[in-house]
Amino acid sequence: MGKFVQLVVDGLSTGSVYGALALAIVLVNQATGLINFAQGGMAVLAAYVTWWLTNHSVPLILAILISIALSFVFGAVVERWLMRRFERGDPDTAVVVTIGLLTLITGFCGWLWTYNNQQFPSLFPLRTVSFLGVSISIRSIGTTVVIVVAMILLQALFVRTKLGLALRAVAINPQSAAFSGLPVGRLLMVGWGLAAALGAVAAALVAPQLTLTPGMLDNALVYALAAVILGGLTSPVGVVVAAWIIGILENLAAVYVSFIGFDLKVAVPFILIFVVLIVRPQGLFGRKSVVRV
Amino acid sequence: MAPGMTSPASPVWQRPWARWAGWLLLVVVLAVVPLVMTEFANETLARIGVYAVAVLGLNVVMGYAGQVSLGQIFFLGLGAYITAYGVQEEWNIVLVFVLACLIPAVVGLLVALAAARLGGLAIAMVTIALPIVGVPLAKRLSDFTGGSQGMSARFADAPEGSGLFDDQWVLYVVLIIGGIVFLLTRNLVRGKYGRAFAIVKGNENVASSMGISPYRYKVLAFTIASLIGGVSGFLYMAVIQYTSPETMSFGHSIQLVAAMVIGGAASIVGSLLGGAYYVLVPQLTNLVDPSLTALLQGALLLVVLFVLPGGLVSLPRALTRGRRRSRAGRGPVAPPTTPSTTTGSGTAAEEPETERQGHA
Repeated sequence: MGKFVQLVVDGLSTGSVYGALALAIVLVNQATGLINFAQGGMAVLAAYVTWWLTNHSVPLILAILISIALSFVFGAVVERWLMRRFERGDPDTAVVVTIGLLTLITGFCGWLWTYNNQQFPSLFPLRTVSFLGVSISIRSIGTTVVIVVAMILLQALFVRTKLGLALRAVAINPQSAAFSGLPVGRLLMVGWGLAAALGAVAAALVAPQLTLTPGMLDNALVYALAAVILGGLTSPVGVVVAAWIIGILENLAAVYVSFIGFDLKVAVPFILIFVVLIVRPQGLFGRKSVVRV
Repeated sequence: MAPGMTSPASPVWQRPWARWAGWLLLVVVLAVVPLVMTEFANETLARIGVYAVAVLGLNVVMGYAGQVSLGQIFFLGLGAYITAYGVQEEWNIVLVFVLACLIPAVVGLLVALAAARLGGLAIAMVTIALPIVGVPLAKRLSDFTGGSQGMSARFADAPEGSGLFDDQWVLYVVLIIGGIVFLLTRNLVRGKYGRAFAIVKGNENVASSMGISPYRYKVLAFTIASLIGGVSGFLYMAVIQYTSPETMSFGHSIQLVAAMVIGGAASIVGSLLGGAYYVLVPQLTNLVDPSLTALLQGALLLVVLFVLPGGLVSLPRALTRGRRRSRAGRGPVAPPTTPSTTTGSGTAAEEPETERQGHA
C-alpha cells in the first residue's frame, strides 16, 4: 500500500511537469493554431540559464525568477521575429520551423555547455516525510504544488484580467479582434512569452531529477503532446488532468504490469490515447469544433 | 500565374518531343552515372535514393492528402527489419521484397483505420506513437530483431559475371526500384486520386459534399505512404546493410518531416530534394565542425524556410519572380502573384502551379 501511494504521488509530480509543458503547448496552439515542438527546447534553454546563474553564485530562487523573465522575453522575440512570418502560411511549414528551432536550441546548448549531464540544484530538500505510515518525497509534493499554483495564476490571468480577455479574443478570432482595435501582434507575443515562462518553471522543477542535458525534455514533450490530445486542445483543465492520469498510470503500469516494465512504459499514454480517441475523437474534455462550409 | 505557358508560342522545352527527349536523356544519364563515379559518390547517391523514397511516401500522406504523419520512419524501420529477417532466414529475395512492402502496408492500414477517424492534429499524435513505441518494442522483441544490437544482412552484392562493383550494383537496384516507385506515385497523384487527396486536404466538408469520402481517402493515402515506407526500408537494407532500433527513432522521424517540407510539400521533385537534404546536410555540417552539427542543421533549416517557405522546389519560381519584379520595377507586377508574395507562403496560390508545369 505504501509503495502504491508513493508511486501515485511521484506520478502526480512528473504528471505536473508534463502538464505545465502541455499547458504551454495549448497556450500557443490556442493563439496561433500550431504545435510548438520547440516548447521543451526553450524550457531547457531556460534551465541552462538558471544553472549558469547559480554557478555564478546567484541564489537559486532568484536565478529561476530571472530565467522565467528571460524566457518570457525570448518567447515573445521568437514569435515576433521568427514565427510571425509563417503564421498565415501553410501550417506544416510552421510546425517544421518549430522543429528547426528545437534542433537549433539543442545544438546551441550542446555547443555552449556540452552534451554531458550537469547537476542542477534542487529547489526542495531531498528528504521524505512520513504521513500515515507512508513515506512521500517532499520534492514530489513541492513540484505538484508549485505547478498547481502556477496554473491557478494563469487561469486567473485569463479569466479575471483585461489582458486575459484580449488574449482569449485573439485566440478565438484574430481578425475580429484586430477589427475591434486589439493589438493582435503584441498579444500573440505575450501568449508565446507566457508559454515560454511556464515552460521555464517546469524545466526548473524537473531538472534536478533528470539532470540537465540538451535533450532533457524531449521525452517530456512527447508526454505533453499526449496529454494535449488526451485532454482535448480546447480545455486547459482537461489537459492538466490528462497529464496527471498519464504520469500516474505509467508509473503504476511500469511496476505492476510485468510485460510493460520500464522500457515499454512510454507506450502507456499512447495506448490510452488510442482507446480514448476512438471513443471520443475530441479528447476527454474537449469540445467538438464545428466548421462552416 | 504563368501566362506564357498556355500561349501558342510555347518554348522548345515544353513541346512533347522535347519532354520525351528529356526523359530519355535522364534515363541514359542515370544508367551511366553509377559506372563513372567514385565509390563514395555512388554510396551517397544510393542513400539519397533511399530517403527520397521515404520522403515521397510521407509526401503522399502529408503533402498531398494533408494529414500530418510523424511516424513515417517507423515504416522504413519495419521494412528494414522484415528484409533483414527474411535474408537471415534465407528466403527468396523477391518474396522478401513483397513482404517488406505488404506488411508495412497492412500495419499502416490498421493504424489508419483508427487514426483517420480523427481530424488534424490527433492524427499527428497517433502517428507520433509509432516511432516512440517502435523503438522499445524492437529492443524487446530481440528474438526477431536482435535487440539493441540490431541486425545486419547482405543480399545486394553484384552477381558474378556482371562485371560490376557492389556499390554500382546497389545503386542500380536503388535507381530501378526507386524510379518505379516515383513513376507510379507521380501517376497516382496526377490522376483521380491526386485530385481527391487535394480536396480532402483543402476542405473535408467540401470533399464529402462532392461524394469523396475523406475517411476512405485518408486511409488510402496513409496505406500507400506505409507501403512506400516499406519499400524504402528494403532499399535501406540493400544500401546500409544494417538496422537497429535507432533507425526508427523519433528524432529521425521529425527530420524526415523537415526534409519533406524543405524539399517542397506536394511535389515529386521536392521529394528528391528532400532526400538529398536529409543525407547531404549532416555530411556537410559534420565536415564544417562536428560539435556544431545540430546548431548548423537547425540554423540552415530556418534560413531555407525563411527564404523559401515553399521549399527548395520553389527556388526557380522565386528567382523568376524576383527577376520579373526587378524588371518591372515597383510598377504593376502580374496581379495573381502578389498575394503569394505578400503572405510568403506555399499554399493555394503556389501548388496548382507545380501541377500545371507538369501537365503542360
